[in-house]
Amino acid sequence: MSRLLVPLIILCAALGILLSIEQPGNDADLIIASEDEIKTLDPQRMSWLHDMRLAYALYEGLTRWNTNDFTIESAIAQSWNSSEDGLLWRFHIDPQARWSNGTPVTAHDFVWSWQRLLLPDTAADYSDLLFPVQGAEEFWNWRAEKLASFSGGEQEAEELMEETDRRFHETVGIRALDHSTLELQLARPVPYLLDLLAFAPLLPVHRPSVEGWMVSDADLEDMKGPSGWHFMNPPPWSERRFIALSPQTGRLQVDHRWARPGTLVSNGDYVLDRWRYRRDLRLTRNPESRRPLNGAAREILVVSIPDPNTALLAFRAGEVDWLTGVSADVRRDLLDAASDSQADQTRLVRSIRAIPSFGTDFFSFNCRPTLPDGRANPFHQAEVRRAFALATDKQSIVNHVTGLHEPISGSMSPAGGIKGYEPPNGLGFDPDAALRELASAGWGLDDEHNLRSASGELFPEIELLYTTSSSRHQRIATALRGQWEETLGVNVRLVGKDSKAFSVDLRQGDFMIARGRWYGDWGDPTTFLNLFRTGNGNNDRGFSNESIDAALAAADVQSDPAARYRSMAAVEKDLFEKHLPLLPICQIVEIGMYDPQQLSGMTTHPRLIQYLGDIRFVKETP
Amino acid sequence: MKRVIAMRLVQLPVILLAVYTLTFALAWLIPGNPLERTDGRRPPAAIEEAMRAQWQLDDPWQFYWSYLGDVSGVTWLSRGGEGPVIDFGPSMRHENWSVGEIIAGQLPISMTVGLSAILLAVIIGVTSGTIGGMRPGSWSDLATGLIAVVGVSIPAFVIGTAMLLAGGVWLKWFPVTGWGSWEHIALPALALSLPFAAWIARLTRQGVIEEMQADYVRTARAKGISERAVMTRHVLPNALLPVVSYLGPATAAAMTGSFVIEKVFSIPGLGMHFVDAVLGKDLPMIMGVVLVYSSLLVLLNLAVDVMYAWIDPRITLGSST
Repeated sequence: MSRLLVPLIILCAALGILLSIEQPGNDADLIIASEDEIKTLDPQRMSWLHDMRLAYALYEGLTRWNTNDFTIESAIAQSWNSSEDGLLWRFHIDPQARWSNGTPVTAHDFVWSWQRLLLPDTAADYSDLLFPVQGAEEFWNWRAEKLASFSGGEQEAEELMEETDRRFHETVGIRALDHSTLELQLARPVPYLLDLLAFAPLLPVHRPSVEGWMVSDADLEDMKGPSGWHFMNPPPWSERRFIALSPQTGRLQVDHRWARPGTLVSNGDYVLDRWRYRRDLRLTRNPESRRPLNGAAREILVVSIPDPNTALLAFRAGEVDWLTGVSADVRRDLLDAASDSQADQTRLVRSIRAIPSFGTDFFSFNCRPTLPDGRANPFHQAEVRRAFALATDKQSIVNHVTGLHEPISGSMSPAGGIKGYEPPNGLGFDPDAALRELASAGWGLDDEHNLRSASGELFPEIELLYTTSSSRHQRIATALRGQWEETLGVNVRLVGKDSKAFSVDLRQGDFMIARGRWYGDWGDPTTFLNLFRTGNGNNDRGFSNESIDAALAAADVQSDPAARYRSMAAVEKDLFEKHLPLLPICQIVEIGMYDPQQLSGMTTHPRLIQYLGDIRFVKETP
Repeated sequence: MKRVIAMRLVQLPVILLAVYTLTFALAWLIPGNPLERTDGRRPPAAIEEAMRAQWQLDDPWQFYWSYLGDVSGVTWLSRGGEGPVIDFGPSMRHENWSVGEIIAGQLPISMTVGLSAILLAVIIGVTSGTIGGMRPGSWSDLATGLIAVVGVSIPAFVIGTAMLLAGGVWLKWFPVTGWGSWEHIALPALALSLPFAAWIARLTRQGVIEEMQADYVRTARAKGISERAVMTRHVLPNALLPVVSYLGPATAAAMTGSFVIEKVFSIPGLGMHFVDAVLGKDLPMIMGVVLVYSSLLVLLNLAVDVMYAWIDPRITLGSST
C-alpha cells in the first residue's frame, strides 16, 4: 500500500512547486476587463481600438481630444500656428513635458517616431497617415524599392540605413527647428491634421528605449538637458539591444521586448508596471505626468477575459469595474439578464452601456465586371446594386435579427460621429422602386416570381459571403436572403467561411456580395470615403468612378471646413443614392458595462476613445 | 530497466521529428494566410509581400528546414552558441512575445490545473469506487455510479459555467476570474476532474469487485483479519494497479486538454491559446506547443511505466513495451 501512495505524493509535490512559481496578482484601483487581448504596446504598430486605449494612457501626443465632443485640445504641443494655405505648421512643445525616466520630450522625439512610422520596415498599417507630408510618400516608396532590390551584406545594410536617415532629413517635411519647435511641411492641406495628431500611431516613443541603447547613469543625467537624447550619437548597431539590421534583407528588425515593464519609457499619464501575455497588464501613475492626478486611478489593471459569459459573471460579482466590450452573441442574453434577480437588477440594468459607435456594418457589392472564374458579375451594374439596396428592410433586421435596435444606416459615415457633418440618408426600403430599377436593367419577375431577362434567362444565383466567426453575421445574411428572394425573386446562396478564407476571397474579388465592417479613425468624412477611391488598398469592392475620385480630390484641397463638409456630403449622397458600392446596414452598437454610480468621466461619443486618466470614481454619499 | 529507459529516451527525438513533420504538413494545409485579417485596415501590398517573405510563407520547404534548425538547436550550434538553444521563434499573431516565452509562462498554469484535477479525481474516484465496489448493487453503489455517469456526460462548459454562477456569483465563495491562489484553482480543478474521477471510480469499483472474490481475500478473512485491514492491505493495493496505469495518460490529457475549462474560467493556460493558434494559423505557435506537448506526453508515459514496475515488482518493463 505504501508504494501506492508514492504517485500521489509526487503529484502533490509537483503541484506545490508549480504553485510556488505563481506570483499573486496585485490589486488596483480600477479594474478593466476586455474579451480582447492586448496585441501590441508599440503605437506605430497599432491597429486595434483596445491597444490604442492603452497607448492613450501610456503616451501623449501633440494634441488630444476633449472626449465629450472630440474637439481638439493642446497636449504636448502648447501652441501651434499654420500658414494661410494650411501647408506649413509649427508646433511649440511644452518645455515641462518629460518622459517617465525624467528626460525632456523634444521635437526630435516626434521627428524620430514619425520617421519610424514612415519606414516600410516598421510595416505600420497607418504609414499612409503621413503621406500628405511633403516628400513622405516618395520617401516610403524609395526605401521600399531599395529594400526590394537589396542584395545583402552587413556593411551595405548599414550604408543603406545611413542614406535613409539622410534622405529623410533632407526630403521629408518633418523637422525639428530647435529642441522645442516642430515644423511640418505638407504637400497638400490636411484639414483634419490636428485630429490626426492625437491618433495613436502618431504618438511619440522614446528612441533610446525602443532601440535598447545601453545608457549609463551619467548619460541619463546628461539626457535630462534640454535636447534629450538628441545630443548623443546613436551607439553602433551591435550595441543596440532591441533593434538590428538584417544583413539578408537590409530591413530593420525590431525585438519587441522593448515594450515591456522596465524598458518601456512613456510620456503619458501612466507607466507600464506589469504585462503578462494574454493575462493582465498593470499601469501605475507616471510620476512625470504633466496632468495632476486629481482623483484618477493610481493603478489600473487591464485583464483579458476571453469567455463572454465569464466576463459578465465577473462584472456581476463586482470583480471588474468596467467591461469594455460584450460580444455580439451574449448581448441579447445580457439585455434579458436584466429581469434576473431584484437586487442585482438595478445595478446590472443601469450598468449596460449601449453606444452607437464610429463604425458601420455593411455588405460589399463586387463592382468588377467579371468574377475571377470568368462569370459575368450581375452587380457590375449600378441599377442592380440599387435594386438590392431598395429591397432591404434594415429596420426589420435591427429589430428582429440582431435585436439590438441599432440605428440603421443609408450611408457610410455614422450619424453624430463628426461634428458639423451630416451624412446623407441614402436609399430607404422601397420594394416597388427596387423592381423598377431591375426593369431598367432588363430584368423582370415572371409568373412564378422568378427574376428573368426579356429573353427568359434566369438571374444568376447570388453568392452571399459571410464569416462564420460570429452568429450575428450569419443571422443577418440569412435575413437578407429571405428579403431578397421574397422581393426580387432571385436565388441567394449563403457562403459561410472562416475569417482567414473569407479575407482571401475578399482580397481576390472572389465574391458577389460580402459582409464588411469599417470603423473610422479620424474625425473627418475621408476616414470613410477614402475607401471608395480608385485603387485604395481597402477598396475590396473594386469600385472605381472618375467623378467620385475627382470630387474627393477637389474636397481634399478645400480649406473652408463648412464648404468642405458640404462637398463631402454631396459625394457621399452621390455614392449612396446612385452608385451603391456597398449596402450599409446599421451603425455598430458597442455594449460595455460600468456602473455610472461608481465611475464618471466616461465618454459616450461614437468615437469611443477613452482616456483612462479621465476616469473618476464617484464619491459614495452616505 | 535502465536499458528500456535509455531506449525510450533515444526514441524521443525520432518521435518528435515525426510529430514535427506531420504537424507542419497539417498546419500548412490550414487554408488562409496567417497575416491576413478580416476587419479593419490592410497594410500596403509591398509591406505584405515583405512580411510574407520575412516569415518564409512562400516556400513550405524553406520554412520547414529553417524552423527545424531553430527548434533542434542546429541553428544555435551554427551561431556558435548565441541566443536560446531551442528557439520556437516569435509568435506570428502576437509579435511582442516569443513562443518560448508564451509556453514558459502558460504551461505551468495548465499543468497546475491538470495536476490539481487529477489529484481531486483520484480522491473522488478511489473513494466512490471503493464504496461502490464493496457492496455492488447497493444504494451507495447506484448513487456513486449515477454521479460518475453525470460527471462523464455533462460538457465542461456547462458544468463550469454552473459552478461559476453558484460558487462565484451566488455564494461568493470563490472569485470568478483571476489566477494565483487556491481559490482560483478549486472550481476549475473540480470541473476538470469530474470525467477523470468517473473513470477512476469505474476502474476502482471493477478492481475491488474482482479482488474481493479472490482466494487470498477469503484466506485473509478466514484468518480473522478485520474487514478494514483486508481492504487496505490486500484488496486495494491490487485493485488500484489499473488506476496507476491510467494516471499517466490521464495526467497528460488533463494538462493538455483543458482548453474549454481554461476558457470558461478565464485561466491563462496554454490550451486555449493553442486552439486560437490553430484557428489563426500561427505556425510557430502551433509547432512549439505541439512539440512541447508531445515531449511531455512521452516523458509522462515513461515515468508512469517506471513507477508501475516499481510499485508492482511482478511487472517487468521490458516485456510490457
